[in-house]
Amino acid sequence: MVCYLSNTPMGCDAMTTWDHRQPIYQQLADLLAAQLLDGDPAEGQAMPSVRALAAQHLLNPVTVSRALQALTEARLLENRRGLGLYVLPGAHDSLRASERQRFLQNEWPRLRARLKRLGINNEQLIWEDTP
Amino acid sequence: MTSDLLVEARNLSVRYGAKTAVDDLSFSIPKGRVVGLLGHNGAGKTTLMKAMVGLKKGEGELSVLGMDPVRERVALLQSACYIPDVATLPQWARVSELITLMQGMHPRFSADRARTLLKRTSVGLNDKVKSLSKGMVAQAHLALIASIDARLMILDEPTLGLDVLSRKAFYEMLIDEWCDGERSVLISTHQVEEIESLLSDVLMLNEGKLVLSISLEDMDRRFVALSHDAAAADAMTAAHPLLRYRVQGGSAALFDGPPPAHLEALGKRVRPSLVDLFVALTRKPEIDRTQF
Repeated sequence: MVCYLSNTPMGCDAMTTWDHRQPIYQQLADLLAAQLLDGDPAEGQAMPSVRALAAQHLLNPVTVSRALQALTEARLLENRRGLGLYVLPGAHDSLRASERQRFLQNEWPRLRARLKRLGINNEQLIWEDTP
Repeated sequence: MTSDLLVEARNLSVRYGAKTAVDDLSFSIPKGRVVGLLGHNGAGKTTLMKAMVGLKKGEGELSVLGMDPVRERVALLQSACYIPDVATLPQWARVSELITLMQGMHPRFSADRARTLLKRTSVGLNDKVKSLSKGMVAQAHLALIASIDARLMILDEPTLGLDVLSRKAFYEMLIDEWCDGERSVLISTHQVEEIESLLSDVLMLNEGKLVLSISLEDMDRRFVALSHDAAAADAMTAAHPLLRYRVQGGSAALFDGPPPAHLEALGKRVRPSLVDLFVALTRKPEIDRTQF
């Protein structure tokens, strides 16, 4: 299962730090899924090569392959024979759907409980972007 | 010996007079691996690497690319490349002159490839070595030896003294230009945390002895770390873990193999880190600590 963690702090300019809660390949898969959700790369476009990703994130190529495999199994990428991995059409929507599902199931109950505790009602929540 | 094993050592010992620097090691390095050689200063890392390129004669069996490193050194160095920890490039030389030098010296060196690799860096062909920063020298050196059509690369503390961006650039080039699934590289370093995710395998030396030789995948399977809160501390200690250490939001206990079932309920499994394992397996006996 690939999930999108919007609050994962990952700087790619220096050495990326991986946490100890999950296998690294899973963390990379999450990071790549987050980028796919942002349209990087866009649907129908090629994924960077294993070696390019390994060099960029300073990971063993085997770890990168496992992450890409997880994304392929989640039907976000497809293997075009001889060409490499491409972002499947619909990847964005399916990521968004699973992410939405995850938010409603896991995050919203906690958030709602906190809002109730603090006595914050609908009217007090500002939905417009502040300039 | 099968061709899939690039290095095979059996009961290898290397001595300096009465001192045994490398003590009865048995291990192998298959093709396509990125192997970290870890150990404290004086643990035998440099000696082992020297033995692998025929600079130091050992006892027992050592085969590198199917060859005896001492007897067949010249043939071996056509397919194995090495940056020693004392590596220097001549200060007075220009980078282009080093390429010419390598071309004349090494039958399997490609000048074209060296120039291509150098284009990735900020090192210019006309630059003199003495005008380059430490990080640029390391990159130039890597570019030169990665242009040898070899199967095994041996790097002895290649990033010592480099800043974080230079280290990243160095490893980036190594992965991108060297690791192709066939060639292997052996790297010794003290920056364990930094290269952990890069490695496929690890060899750990403690006072000349091999305390661990394992793939990172097997390491994750064999060693179990349990993060726990203060209330569970006594129970963890009672089970004699390899190591207890601090993690984000509490403590953790590291076990070799599955911990007792009653402990699993008290903690949460976390991925054991190489650096914690390193500390656990290479700790000096308590008695030695009085010296420090």
